[in-house]
Amino acid sequence: MTQINNKSAVSVRGLTKRFKLNWRRGWLLALDKLDLEVKPGEIFGLLGPNGSGKSTTMKLLLGILRPTEGEAKIFGEPAGSMKARQNIGFLPENPYFPTFLTGREVLFYYGRLSGLDHIEIKHRSKELLGLVSLEKAADRPLRTYSKGMLQRIGLAQALLHNPDLIFLDEPTAGVDPIGSRQMRDLMLKLKEEGKTIVFSSHLLEQVEEISDRVAILHQGQKLCEGMLDELLQIPDDLEIGLDNVSPEEETKLKELLESSGLGRARLRRPRVSLEQFFIDQVIK
Amino acid sequence: MKQIYWRIYAIAKNTLIESLRQRVLLVLLLFGLVLTGASFYFTNFTFQEEFKFLKDIGSAAISVTGLLIAMIGAAQLIPAEIERRTIYTVLSKPVRRVEFLLGKYLGLLGLLTLMVALMSIIFGGVLWLKEVVEIQEIQMQSQGGELSEGQQRMLEQVYEQSRDLGMFQALLLIWLKLALVAGIAVLFSTMATSTVFIVFSTLVVYFIGHLQATAKEVWIQEGTGGVFEKFVLVLVSWFVPDFQAYSIIDEILAGTNVEWTYIFEITGYSIIYLLVILALGGLVFQEREL
Repeated sequence: MTQINNKSAVSVRGLTKRFKLNWRRGWLLALDKLDLEVKPGEIFGLLGPNGSGKSTTMKLLLGILRPTEGEAKIFGEPAGSMKARQNIGFLPENPYFPTFLTGREVLFYYGRLSGLDHIEIKHRSKELLGLVSLEKAADRPLRTYSKGMLQRIGLAQALLHNPDLIFLDEPTAGVDPIGSRQMRDLMLKLKEEGKTIVFSSHLLEQVEEISDRVAILHQGQKLCEGMLDELLQIPDDLEIGLDNVSPEEETKLKELLESSGLGRARLRRPRVSLEQFFIDQVIK
Repeated sequence: MKQIYWRIYAIAKNTLIESLRQRVLLVLLLFGLVLTGASFYFTNFTFQEEFKFLKDIGSAAISVTGLLIAMIGAAQLIPAEIERRTIYTVLSKPVRRVEFLLGKYLGLLGLLTLMVALMSIIFGGVLWLKEVVEIQEIQMQSQGGELSEGQQRMLEQVYEQSRDLGMFQALLLIWLKLALVAGIAVLFSTMATSTVFIVFSTLVVYFIGHLQATAKEVWIQEGTGGVFEKFVLVLVSWFVPDFQAYSIIDEILAGTNVEWTYIFEITGYSIIYLLVILALGGLVFQEREL
């Protein structure tokens, strides 16, 4: 096992979590000797089916749960310590913020908890409400918000104290494609600002679109970790892209490629993703 | 240090606002207010008895309503935050768990204080109304002329009953008792997520707390208890507050003069016990897996 890397945004070694089950039914192994490395400035996707240990990993990194074994550090600080938490923003899966508060009041509450003073909160709230496009809804109570809006105000509260590392647990769960796209764009914008993002999701297409690196968890164990290009590349295959090709030209091209001795050529008309198609239709 | 204060304040304020939005608690408060107000209409005795009756009903209404609010409110404090997952957003911020617990408790205490204050105002109003009615009656008896010596004495007695400063002592003690019960319920809510379990455990402690003084009297002072009984008693008195200490409220209501030094002694006892309970709650909550 290699040493913890203090320069990483997240560095995890041998992290294990066992939950004690009630009535002497023994133990549940939720996470088994996890090693993980997230570099500063990257978007890291945690993938896995339900119960694979994604949320447990996040809770361990936030100090909400305590590890049974192993070690985790956030920018060189022990996970869960006050110092580590000063640099973390977190959006849990489908949180229910107090619905009687308005968006602005929610930000004020979390701003106080983040250690900001009145003026800083006012300033940051304005900035973040703009970032998550909720300026107009800022003074409405949360019970009038759509699910996508709730997730966005959730993201804004996570960003109040300008943390360098952001954890998002299923940020697009239950959100419609447009809301989901907005969340994705926000994540890319945050990456541009130099933030590190660790997020979990079931939506593989979305993970593929925005992650720099991913890890796949299954039954508490890490199956693989790496850059998407490395993990997904089919060795020895090559795709060629051409604009404005007629069906006749396509047949000619296929013949040309096959006659050159390269073997059977597969030509395919590219499609836009269903998500893109849906958004184009709705926005039209 | 300033930041700790602001964090606790923010959590307390949020808890108070949230509990004020809960219909169950407001219905309870309404019930208490109506009961206190209605006690005015129970009139069939001499005015001394009626004043005593008003005070008994009024303080009992505040006590019982407060007890229910303290237990139900406290039992929901932490379980509700876990259920809504907002506890994760709070504890992912640089907030210590003990700050969170203290903020939650102070929010609930704020609600109890507000409630006791509101009901006390209504209670004061009822006593004042009674005073006006009684004085009118005495003046009617004298038919506008000079008051006889007997009537003068009755007038003095009415004032003595209605403007009884002992009521402040009684209300302070009721408030302290409620604060302590809420503290115990908060302690249980750091250990369990079931509201029923928390309310039930708090009730058990509350009753044991009432019984232990009686048991002490019977087993130790009268010497009827064996070694086992004495051992249990020592154990209980270590872990359970002596709620019998607040029974002085009944004597105050009956008109006994109680020295303020004694009231301050009970106040000191309550505060120390509360600090111990909250510190214990903090320790348990620190280790709790959420």
